[in-house]
Amino acid sequence: MLQLVASGITKRYRDITILDGVGLTAQGGEIVALTGENGAGKTTLMRICAGLVRADSGTVQVGGRIGYCPQIPGVFELLTADDHLVMFGRGAGIGRAESLRRGHAILEEFGYPLHERAVTRDLSGGTRQKLNLALALLGDPGVLLLDEPYQGFDRGTYVNFWDHCRNWADSGRAVIVVTHMLAELERADRIVELEAHPSRRAHS
Amino acid sequence: MKALGRVLIMAEMHGRDLTRRHAALALLVALPLAFYLASVGSGKDSIVAGGVGMAFAVSGATLFSVLSSAEVDQRLVLGGYRPADLLLGRVLCLGPLGLLIGVGFSLLMTLVSHPARPGLVFLGVAMVAMQSIPFGLAVGVAVPKDLEGTLVLIGVVGLQMAADPTSVIAKVLPFHGPQQVIQAGIKAGTVGGPILLSAAYALGLFIVARILVGRRVGIARHESIV
Repeated sequence: MLQLVASGITKRYRDITILDGVGLTAQGGEIVALTGENGAGKTTLMRICAGLVRADSGTVQVGGRIGYCPQIPGVFELLTADDHLVMFGRGAGIGRAESLRRGHAILEEFGYPLHERAVTRDLSGGTRQKLNLALALLGDPGVLLLDEPYQGFDRGTYVNFWDHCRNWADSGRAVIVVTHMLAELERADRIVELEAHPSRRAHS
Repeated sequence: MKALGRVLIMAEMHGRDLTRRHAALALLVALPLAFYLASVGSGKDSIVAGGVGMAFAVSGATLFSVLSSAEVDQRLVLGGYRPADLLLGRVLCLGPLGLLIGVGFSLLMTLVSHPARPGLVFLGVAMVAMQSIPFGLAVGVAVPKDLEGTLVLIGVVGLQMAADPTSVIAKVLPFHGPQQVIQAGIKAGTVGGPILLSAAYALGLFIVARILVGRRVGIARHESIV
Protein backbone atom coordinates (compact mmCIF):
# COMPACT_ATOMS: atom_id res chain seq x y z
CA MET A 1 0.00 0.00 0.00
CA LEU A 2 1.24 3.49 -0.86
CA GLN A 3 2.42 5.39 2.18
CA LEU A 4 3.79 8.47 0.45
CA VAL A 5 2.70 10.13 -2.77
CA ALA A 6 4.34 13.42 -3.74
CA SER A 7 3.41 14.71 -7.16
CA GLY A 8 4.16 17.75 -9.28
CA ILE A 9 6.40 19.27 -6.59
CA THR A 10 7.88 22.59 -7.65
CA LYS A 11 10.06 24.77 -5.47
CA ARG A 12 11.90 27.95 -6.36
CA TYR A 13 14.09 30.20 -4.28
CA ARG A 14 14.00 33.57 -6.06
CA ASP A 15 15.02 32.87 -9.66
CA ILE A 16 16.55 29.48 -8.95
CA THR A 17 14.35 26.48 -9.54
CA ILE A 18 15.21 23.67 -7.15
CA LEU A 19 12.45 21.24 -8.04
CA ASP A 20 10.28 21.36 -11.12
CA GLY A 21 7.29 19.05 -11.16
CA VAL A 22 9.05 16.28 -9.25
CA GLY A 23 7.23 13.19 -8.03
CA LEU A 24 8.09 10.58 -5.42
CA THR A 25 6.16 7.59 -4.19
CA ALA A 26 6.90 4.92 -1.60
CA GLN A 27 4.99 1.85 -0.54
CA GLY A 28 4.83 0.32 2.89
CA GLY A 29 7.55 -2.34 3.09
CA GLU A 30 9.74 -0.58 0.56
CA ILE A 31 13.15 1.08 0.84
CA VAL A 32 13.56 3.90 -1.66
CA ALA A 33 17.02 5.39 -2.17
CA LEU A 34 16.94 9.03 -3.23
CA THR A 35 20.13 9.96 -5.02
CA GLY A 36 21.45 12.79 -7.16
CA GLU A 37 24.23 15.27 -7.50
CA ASN A 38 24.77 18.11 -5.03
CA GLY A 39 22.12 20.76 -5.50
CA ALA A 40 19.63 18.37 -7.10
CA GLY A 41 17.09 19.19 -4.38
CA LYS A 42 17.08 15.92 -2.41
CA THR A 43 16.98 17.60 0.98
CA THR A 44 14.41 20.13 -0.21
CA LEU A 45 12.19 17.31 -1.48
CA MET A 46 12.53 15.45 1.81
CA ARG A 47 11.69 18.58 3.78
CA ILE A 48 8.66 19.20 1.59
CA CYS A 49 7.51 15.60 2.10
CA ALA A 50 7.97 16.06 5.86
CA GLY A 51 5.97 19.30 5.75
CA LEU A 52 8.87 21.45 6.97
CA VAL A 53 9.00 23.42 3.72
CA ARG A 54 6.00 24.40 1.63
CA ALA A 55 6.14 23.61 -2.07
CA ASP A 56 5.23 26.34 -4.54
CA SER A 57 2.99 23.81 -6.24
CA GLY A 58 2.25 20.12 -6.09
CA THR A 59 0.72 17.86 -3.47
CA VAL A 60 1.92 15.41 -0.85
CA GLN A 61 -0.21 12.65 0.63
CA VAL A 62 0.95 10.41 3.44
CA GLY A 63 -0.38 7.19 4.89
CA GLY A 64 0.69 7.63 8.48
CA ARG A 65 2.83 9.50 10.91
CA ILE A 66 6.07 10.94 9.48
CA GLY A 67 9.44 10.28 11.09
CA TYR A 68 12.05 12.70 9.79
CA CYS A 69 15.77 12.43 10.44
CA PRO A 70 17.62 15.54 9.18
CA GLN A 71 21.15 15.47 7.84
CA ILE A 72 22.36 17.71 10.67
CA PRO A 73 21.08 16.62 14.08
CA GLY A 74 18.63 19.19 15.41
CA VAL A 75 19.00 18.69 19.15
CA PHE A 76 19.35 20.77 22.31
CA GLU A 77 23.05 21.03 23.09
CA LEU A 78 22.58 21.03 26.86
CA LEU A 79 20.04 18.23 27.18
CA THR A 80 20.80 14.53 27.49
CA ALA A 81 19.53 11.74 25.27
CA ASP A 82 16.93 10.82 27.91
CA ASP A 83 15.69 14.42 28.01
CA HIS A 84 15.23 14.34 24.24
CA LEU A 85 13.43 11.00 24.32
CA VAL A 86 10.98 12.24 26.95
CA MET A 87 10.38 15.50 25.08
CA PHE A 88 9.88 13.97 21.63
CA GLY A 89 7.87 11.11 23.11
CA ARG A 90 5.42 13.52 24.73
CA GLY A 91 4.83 15.18 21.36
CA ALA A 92 3.83 11.79 19.98
CA GLY A 93 1.51 11.24 22.96
CA ILE A 94 3.81 8.75 24.70
CA GLY A 95 4.43 8.88 28.44
CA ARG A 96 7.83 9.37 30.05
CA ALA A 97 8.52 5.74 31.00
CA GLU A 98 7.39 4.37 27.65
CA SER A 99 9.40 6.97 25.73
CA LEU A 100 12.52 5.96 27.61
CA ARG A 101 11.83 2.26 27.14
CA ARG A 102 11.27 2.58 23.39
CA GLY A 103 14.07 5.09 22.94
CA HIS A 104 16.62 3.02 24.84
CA ALA A 105 15.68 -0.06 22.80
CA ILE A 106 16.34 1.84 19.55
CA LEU A 107 19.55 3.40 20.83
CA GLU A 108 20.87 0.08 22.08
CA GLU A 109 20.39 -1.40 18.60
CA PHE A 110 22.80 1.24 17.33
CA GLY A 111 25.31 0.77 20.13
CA TYR A 112 24.58 4.14 21.74
CA PRO A 113 26.52 4.54 25.04
CA LEU A 114 23.44 4.84 27.27
CA HIS A 115 25.50 4.72 30.46
CA GLU A 116 27.25 8.04 29.71
CA ARG A 117 24.29 10.38 30.39
CA ALA A 118 26.19 13.18 28.66
CA VAL A 119 24.56 16.28 27.21
CA THR A 120 24.50 16.15 23.41
CA ARG A 121 27.14 18.89 23.10
CA ASP A 122 29.66 16.43 24.52
CA LEU A 123 28.77 13.60 22.14
CA SER A 124 30.65 12.69 18.98
CA GLY A 125 28.97 13.45 15.66
CA GLY A 126 28.12 9.81 15.02
CA THR A 127 26.67 9.30 18.51
CA ARG A 128 24.59 12.41 18.17
CA GLN A 129 23.33 11.12 14.83
CA LYS A 130 22.20 7.88 16.49
CA LEU A 131 20.05 9.95 18.83
CA ASN A 132 18.78 11.92 15.85
CA LEU A 133 17.70 8.67 14.22
CA ALA A 134 16.07 7.35 17.40
CA LEU A 135 14.00 10.55 17.69
CA ALA A 136 12.70 10.01 14.15
CA LEU A 137 11.64 6.47 15.05
CA LEU A 138 10.19 7.13 18.48
CA GLY A 139 6.61 7.89 17.45
CA ASP A 140 6.30 4.66 15.43
CA PRO A 141 6.03 6.45 12.05
CA GLY A 142 4.51 4.91 8.94
CA VAL A 143 6.82 6.94 6.70
CA LEU A 144 10.51 7.33 7.50
CA LEU A 145 12.34 10.16 5.76
CA LEU A 146 16.07 9.76 6.40
CA ASP A 147 18.35 12.44 4.99
CA GLU A 148 21.85 10.94 4.95
CA PRO A 149 21.29 9.76 8.51
CA TYR A 150 24.55 7.84 8.80
CA GLN A 151 26.89 10.88 8.91
CA GLY A 152 29.67 10.07 11.35
CA PHE A 153 28.70 6.42 11.79
CA ASP A 154 31.57 3.98 12.05
CA ARG A 155 31.75 1.22 9.46
CA GLY A 156 29.95 -1.40 11.57
CA THR A 157 27.09 0.91 12.51
CA TYR A 158 26.78 2.00 8.89
CA VAL A 159 26.37 -1.57 7.67
CA ASN A 160 23.90 -2.25 10.48
CA PHE A 161 21.99 0.84 9.46
CA TRP A 162 20.96 -0.78 6.19
CA ASP A 163 19.92 -3.95 8.01
CA HIS A 164 17.75 -1.78 10.23
CA CYS A 165 16.25 -0.10 7.18
CA ARG A 166 15.19 -3.55 5.99
CA ASN A 167 13.65 -4.33 9.38
CA TRP A 168 11.77 -1.05 9.43
CA ALA A 169 10.45 -1.68 5.93
CA ASP A 170 9.51 -5.26 6.82
CA SER A 171 7.40 -3.91 9.65
CA GLY A 172 5.28 -2.10 7.05
CA ARG A 173 6.94 1.29 6.94
CA ALA A 174 7.92 3.19 3.82
CA VAL A 175 11.60 4.06 4.18
CA ILE A 176 13.10 6.81 2.02
CA VAL A 177 16.86 7.33 2.39
CA VAL A 178 18.84 10.13 0.81
CA THR A 179 22.23 8.65 0.02
CA HIS A 180 25.41 9.22 -1.93
CA MET A 181 26.74 5.77 -1.04
CA LEU A 182 26.49 4.06 -4.40
CA ALA A 183 27.93 0.79 -3.04
CA GLU A 184 24.88 0.36 -0.83
CA LEU A 185 22.24 1.11 -3.45
CA GLU A 186 21.62 -2.61 -3.92
CA ARG A 187 20.16 -2.62 -0.41
CA ALA A 188 17.30 -0.41 -1.64
CA ASP A 189 14.22 -1.77 -3.40
CA ARG A 190 14.05 1.19 -5.70
CA ILE A 191 16.32 4.08 -6.67
CA VAL A 192 15.02 7.53 -7.53
CA GLU A 193 17.59 9.86 -9.02
CA LEU A 194 17.09 13.61 -9.00
CA GLU A 195 18.90 15.84 -11.44
CA ALA A 196 19.80 19.42 -10.74
CA HIS A 197 17.51 21.81 -12.58
CA PRO A 198 19.28 23.71 -15.42
CA SER A 199 18.64 27.02 -13.63
CA ARG A 200 20.58 25.66 -10.63
CA ARG A 201 23.48 24.56 -12.80
CA ALA A 202 23.63 28.03 -14.35
CA HIS A 203 24.20 29.53 -10.89
CA SER A 204 26.80 27.03 -9.71
CA MET B 1 -4.76 17.42 29.27
CA LYS B 2 -2.45 16.38 26.43
CA ALA B 3 -1.73 20.04 25.64
CA LEU B 4 -0.94 20.71 29.29
CA GLY B 5 1.40 17.69 29.33
CA ARG B 6 3.28 19.05 26.31
CA VAL B 7 3.59 22.51 27.88
CA LEU B 8 4.83 21.03 31.17
CA ILE B 9 7.45 18.93 29.42
CA MET B 10 8.63 21.96 27.44
CA ALA B 11 8.89 23.95 30.69
CA GLU B 12 10.84 21.14 32.35
CA MET B 13 13.28 20.81 29.46
CA HIS B 14 13.86 24.55 29.15
CA GLY B 15 14.46 24.61 32.88
CA ARG B 16 17.08 21.87 32.55
CA ASP B 17 18.68 23.65 29.63
CA LEU B 18 18.87 26.95 31.53
CA THR B 19 20.22 25.47 34.74
CA ARG B 20 23.14 24.09 32.74
CA ARG B 21 24.00 27.63 31.63
CA HIS B 22 25.21 28.80 35.04
CA ALA B 23 27.82 31.20 33.76
CA ALA B 24 25.54 32.92 31.26
CA LEU B 25 22.76 33.26 33.83
CA ALA B 26 25.15 34.66 36.43
CA LEU B 27 26.42 37.24 33.93
CA LEU B 28 22.89 38.20 32.97
CA VAL B 29 22.00 38.86 36.60
CA ALA B 30 25.31 40.60 37.28
CA LEU B 31 24.73 43.19 34.55
CA PRO B 32 21.69 44.99 36.07
CA LEU B 33 23.15 44.43 39.52
CA ALA B 34 26.22 46.33 38.37
CA PHE B 35 24.00 49.15 37.01
CA TYR B 36 22.30 49.44 40.35
CA LEU B 37 25.41 49.26 42.50
CA ALA B 38 27.27 51.71 40.28
CA SER B 39 24.50 54.29 40.54
CA VAL B 40 23.50 53.69 44.14
CA GLY B 41 25.41 56.76 45.32
CA SER B 42 23.48 59.05 42.96
CA GLY B 43 20.19 58.76 44.84
CA LYS B 44 16.97 56.85 44.56
CA ASP B 45 16.99 56.85 40.73
CA SER B 46 19.39 53.94 41.05
CA ILE B 47 16.30 51.85 41.91
CA VAL B 48 14.87 52.65 38.49
CA ALA B 49 18.19 51.75 36.85
CA GLY B 50 18.37 48.45 38.71
CA GLY B 51 14.68 47.62 38.31
CA VAL B 52 14.41 48.36 34.59
CA GLY B 53 17.91 47.00 33.97
CA MET B 54 16.69 43.69 35.33
CA ALA B 55 14.94 43.31 31.98
CA PHE B 56 18.39 42.39 30.65
CA ALA B 57 18.53 39.36 32.93
CA VAL B 58 15.08 37.95 32.22
CA SER B 59 14.75 38.83 28.54
CA GLY B 60 18.32 37.61 28.01
CA ALA B 61 17.52 34.26 29.61
CA THR B 62 14.40 34.08 27.42
CA LEU B 63 16.41 34.90 24.32
CA PHE B 64 18.91 32.12 25.10
CA SER B 65 16.02 29.75 25.60
CA VAL B 66 14.56 30.60 22.19
CA LEU B 67 17.86 30.48 20.34
CA SER B 68 19.03 27.21 21.92
CA SER B 69 16.08 25.42 20.37
CA ALA B 70 16.06 27.16 16.99
CA GLU B 71 17.20 23.97 15.22
CA VAL B 72 14.74 21.77 17.10
CA ASP B 73 11.48 23.70 17.25
CA GLN B 74 10.15 22.81 13.83
CA ARG B 75 10.99 19.18 14.36
CA LEU B 76 9.09 19.26 17.65
CA VAL B 77 6.08 20.66 15.81
CA LEU B 78 6.41 17.87 13.25
CA GLY B 79 6.53 15.47 16.20
CA GLY B 80 3.20 16.65 17.61
CA TYR B 81 3.79 19.92 19.47
CA ARG B 82 1.87 23.09 18.62
CA PRO B 83 3.84 26.34 18.21
CA ALA B 84 1.93 27.72 21.22
CA ASP B 85 3.19 24.79 23.37
CA LEU B 86 6.75 25.89 22.66
CA LEU B 87 6.05 29.45 23.81
CA LEU B 88 3.90 28.58 26.82
CA GLY B 89 6.45 26.04 28.04
CA ARG B 90 9.07 28.78 28.10
CA VAL B 91 6.72 31.18 29.88
CA LEU B 92 6.03 28.53 32.51
CA CYS B 93 9.74 27.92 33.03
CA LEU B 94 10.91 31.53 32.96
CA GLY B 95 8.01 33.13 34.85
CA PRO B 96 8.97 31.76 38.29
CA LEU B 97 12.66 32.29 37.53
CA GLY B 98 12.03 35.92 36.56
CA LEU B 99 9.94 36.53 39.68
CA LEU B 100 12.64 34.96 41.85
CA ILE B 101 15.31 37.23 40.38
CA GLY B 102 12.92 40.19 40.73
CA VAL B 103 12.24 39.47 44.41
CA GLY B 104 15.98 39.23 45.07
CA PHE B 105 16.62 42.54 43.31
CA SER B 106 13.73 44.30 45.04
CA LEU B 107 14.85 43.05 48.43
CA LEU B 108 18.38 44.30 47.86
CA MET B 109 17.21 47.70 46.59
CA THR B 110 14.76 48.10 49.48
CA LEU B 111 17.42 47.32 52.06
CA VAL B 112 20.04 49.58 50.48
CA SER B 113 18.03 52.49 49.03
CA HIS B 114 14.95 52.62 51.32
CA PRO B 115 12.24 53.56 48.80
CA ALA B 116 9.14 55.35 50.18
CA ARG B 117 6.77 52.59 49.08
CA PRO B 118 8.72 49.34 48.78
CA GLY B 119 5.58 47.39 47.83
CA LEU B 120 5.33 49.35 44.60
CA VAL B 121 9.01 48.76 43.88
CA PHE B 122 8.41 45.02 44.27
CA LEU B 123 5.38 45.30 41.98
CA GLY B 124 7.23 47.34 39.35
CA VAL B 125 10.20 44.99 39.30
CA ALA B 126 7.87 41.98 39.09
CA MET B 127 6.20 43.66 36.11
CA VAL B 128 9.61 44.15 34.48
CA ALA B 129 10.28 40.43 34.97
CA MET B 130 6.92 39.33 33.57
CA GLN B 131 7.06 41.68 30.60
CA SER B 132 10.63 40.68 29.80
CA ILE B 133 9.53 37.15 28.93
CA PRO B 134 7.23 38.00 25.99
CA PHE B 135 9.76 40.68 25.00
CA GLY B 136 12.57 38.09 24.90
CA LEU B 137 10.32 35.66 23.04
CA ALA B 138 9.39 38.26 20.42
CA VAL B 139 13.01 39.33 19.91
CA GLY B 140 14.18 35.71 19.79
CA VAL B 141 11.76 34.69 17.05
CA ALA B 142 12.06 37.96 15.11
CA VAL B 143 15.87 38.14 15.24
CA PRO B 144 16.98 34.50 15.53
CA LYS B 145 20.73 35.18 15.85
CA ASP B 146 22.70 35.45 19.11
CA LEU B 147 24.55 38.67 18.42
CA GLU B 148 21.74 40.54 16.68
CA GLY B 149 19.17 39.48 19.28
CA THR B 150 21.41 40.53 22.17
CA LEU B 151 22.06 43.89 20.53
CA VAL B 152 18.31 44.50 20.17
CA LEU B 153 17.84 43.71 23.88
CA ILE B 154 20.68 46.00 24.89
CA GLY B 155 19.41 48.75 22.57
CA VAL B 156 15.80 48.70 23.76
CA VAL B 157 16.45 48.26 27.48
CA GLY B 158 19.36 50.71 27.41
CA LEU B 159 17.21 53.30 25.63
CA GLN B 160 14.44 52.80 28.17
CA MET B 161 16.92 53.46 30.98
CA ALA B 162 18.57 56.43 29.30
CA ALA B 163 15.55 58.27 27.88
CA ASP B 164 13.77 60.95 29.87
CA PRO B 165 10.67 59.13 31.23
CA THR B 166 8.44 62.03 30.10
CA SER B 167 9.69 61.89 26.50
CA VAL B 168 7.72 60.31 23.70
CA ILE B 169 10.44 57.76 23.03
CA ALA B 170 10.37 56.52 26.64
CA LYS B 171 6.58 56.21 26.52
CA VAL B 172 6.54 54.00 23.43
CA LEU B 173 9.25 51.63 24.69
CA PRO B 174 8.11 48.37 26.33
CA PHE B 175 9.15 48.99 29.92
CA HIS B 176 7.59 52.43 30.40
CA GLY B 177 4.70 51.00 32.48
CA PRO B 178 6.90 49.15 35.00
CA GLN B 179 9.26 52.14 35.09
CA GLN B 180 6.36 54.39 36.16
CA VAL B 181 5.33 51.94 38.88
CA ILE B 182 8.88 51.82 40.24
CA GLN B 183 8.98 55.63 40.13
CA ALA B 184 5.73 55.69 42.11
CA GLY B 185 7.42 53.50 44.69
CA ILE B 186 10.22 56.06 45.08
CA LYS B 187 8.35 59.36 44.89
CA ALA B 188 4.71 59.50 43.93
CA GLY B 189 2.46 58.76 41.00
CA THR B 190 -0.47 56.71 39.84
CA VAL B 191 -0.04 53.04 39.05
CA GLY B 192 -3.36 51.95 37.49
CA GLY B 193 -2.55 53.27 34.01
CA PRO B 194 1.03 51.93 33.97
CA ILE B 195 -0.15 48.49 35.09
CA LEU B 196 -2.69 48.37 32.27
CA LEU B 197 -0.09 49.64 29.78
CA SER B 198 2.36 46.97 30.91
CA ALA B 199 -0.25 44.21 30.65
CA ALA B 200 -1.25 45.38 27.18
CA TYR B 201 2.38 45.53 26.08
CA ALA B 202 3.06 42.04 27.45
CA LEU B 203 0.00 40.64 25.70
CA GLY B 204 0.89 42.41 22.46
CA LEU B 205 4.45 41.09 22.56
CA PHE B 206 3.22 37.57 23.22
CA ILE B 207 0.83 37.79 20.27
CA VAL B 208 3.68 39.03 18.05
CA ALA B 209 5.86 36.13 19.25
CA ARG B 210 3.02 33.65 18.62
CA ILE B 211 2.49 34.92 15.06
CA LEU B 212 6.20 34.90 14.25
CA VAL B 213 6.87 31.49 15.77
CA GLY B 214 3.90 30.11 13.82
CA ARG B 215 5.49 31.36 10.60
CA ARG B 216 8.93 30.10 11.51
CA VAL B 217 8.10 26.61 12.75
CA GLY B 218 4.66 25.94 11.30
CA ILE B 219 4.47 22.86 9.09
CA ALA B 220 2.33 21.88 6.12
CA ARG B 221 -0.24 19.29 7.11
CA HIS B 222 -0.48 16.79 4.29
CA GLU B 223 -3.60 15.00 3.12
CA SER B 224 -3.97 11.41 4.23
CA ILE B 225 -3.92 8.56 1.75
CA VAL B 226 -7.30 6.89 2.07
